[in-house]
Amino acid sequence: MASLRGLSRPARSLPLSQLSRQTCTAGSIRCASSEAGLTDLEDSTLTAPQLSHEEKKEFRPWKRAADRKVALPSGRYQYHPPKYNRGPLHPVQSPPSSDPIARDFVPGPFNLPRLKQTYQSTIASDIMTLAYTHVPPGTPKKETPERLRGWDGSSPYHKNRALRGPRGNPVLPLLERDVTFNNIPEIKEVTIATYVPDAIKEPDHLLVARSVLLSLTGTTPEITKTKSNVVQWGIKIGDRAGVKSTVYGNAAYEFLDRCVHLVFPRIKDWRGIRATTGDSSGNLSFGMSPDEVKLFPEVEANYWMYPAKMLPGCRVFIKTTATSDRQARLLLQSFGVPFYGEVRN
Amino acid sequence: MGKLPSTLLRRPSLAGYLPSTTPALPHTPTAAGIRLPTSQTSTTTSAAGQVRHATFVPRSRRPYQFTQLVQLSDGSTFTVRTTSPLALYKSAKDSRNHILWQPTEKSLRNVEVDEAGKLAAFRERYGSSWDLDGPAAPAAAAAGAAAPAAAAPVAADGSKESGEKGAAAVGKKGAEEKGDKKKVDAKDAKPAAAAQAPAEAAAPAEDPFDSLVDLISTYATEDKNIKGGLSAKDQARKEKKKK
Repeated sequence: MASLRGLSRPARSLPLSQLSRQTCTAGSIRCASSEAGLTDLEDSTLTAPQLSHEEKKEFRPWKRAADRKVALPSGRYQYHPPKYNRGPLHPVQSPPSSDPIARDFVPGPFNLPRLKQTYQSTIASDIMTLAYTHVPPGTPKKETPERLRGWDGSSPYHKNRALRGPRGNPVLPLLERDVTFNNIPEIKEVTIATYVPDAIKEPDHLLVARSVLLSLTGTTPEITKTKSNVVQWGIKIGDRAGVKSTVYGNAAYEFLDRCVHLVFPRIKDWRGIRATTGDSSGNLSFGMSPDEVKLFPEVEANYWMYPAKMLPGCRVFIKTTATSDRQARLLLQSFGVPFYGEVRN
Repeated sequence: MGKLPSTLLRRPSLAGYLPSTTPALPHTPTAAGIRLPTSQTSTTTSAAGQVRHATFVPRSRRPYQFTQLVQLSDGSTFTVRTTSPLALYKSAKDSRNHILWQPTEKSLRNVEVDEAGKLAAFRERYGSSWDLDGPAAPAAAAAGAAAPAAAAPVAADGSKESGEKGAAAVGKKGAEEKGDKKKVDAKDAKPAAAAQAPAEAAAPAEDPFDSLVDLISTYATEDKNIKGGLSAKDQARKEKKKK
């Protein structure tokens, strides 16, 4: 920069590219043999003609800045995405969440969990092969029977009436889909929930439960409220007496991996997950007592931080894309989760 | 909430003329170049009580996560993202050295270590608690008779030979003979099942005696870890059941 400062004022006002062009032309004049070498450079500024004195006089950026009516944004100017989304027709739109400047941008992923890696490389194809049932080509498709009840048409008002749900149970259970190349069960999300009714009397329990779940999942947990009134237990609707947190994708796989390979083996006399678990639509769950929760590496890393009596147990819900419990169990078994006892469905 | 940029509200003419009546309206469409509602009432409502569908975009709260190297008990390592600040986590007990995940690993089986055969010798001499009650008196006598023969090799050689020479000799001979008989029985049974039925029925009646002797003798013979040794815990449980 010192050389630039030494130049005369008009020369200083020139942009750097022009200055360099000038000096380089001088250099090229000095050694004319390099002229041939420069020809293969596409539109090089080195070969451009030198500026005349009038052209240099004309170039006055300071004049342009003085004539400018509107102020340019300052050097400190930074784009901030809008705080609110106001719909797709609004002139101010927030950037997509993949943009690092967006408010809802989440960096990552930072690693490929080994359980996920195993799933992709081995488990998925194994499950598909294991669950393969050969159907000879040309076999007519099995029709799904109508599971909703119709109307007998005894009344003229039955026309166009919506079908009724099944008798007894208002919920229509899922139909199991066959495992095919495009329908291999996988882990969707893992929810960890804690119910701490002691927190009604002493809210510190909630804090401990929150911090434990935070360390387990690495996400900020959410506080849940009691759903029902039970006088004997001293709970009423709306009490803040629970904490839950859900992890998706990579984090879910890592949590499962940690459970299976680090925590379960350290539980005393552990036989496995009870095989009757499941909501018959592919979501399995199990519980952990406070003694088992403290076996997690994250909790034991700073175990002294938590009051021992307030350490909560938790329930873990593993949600899979499987549509039946047996497919979900197959998936978890291939992850290395042992099951014991009799199988329900 | 700050002032919202809005195409309609920004026009001063429209905002100024809103209270006035129809004469003002012909001006605005020409100026704005957009179609405005004709009736006065609808114009006022859109200006005064504008519905803004603004949803807050929260900044995600992400607790810091470290990259941790986990070393399993067999030495294999992998990295995880975790909230634990430890850089390296070495696990002492995990699925690599747990019987539930490694069912074929013999070293993980829960068996009593009886290399010198002392426990077996003791049991041979005095019996276990479960053969105190029950009709095992002849067995105990037989074992007692064999004990002196067994005692000497126990000290010198160890469990295997002692078992062969000792109580096993008594018990097993009987068992072998019995086994031979059974084989013969089985062969004969095919042509004439009815004739051999009583002999077959007699064999199971004597079985408990023989099997008990066999059981005791197996302790001394070899380290049949799979079936033989009971852990202290299992033994206690068994005793409890008896009582």
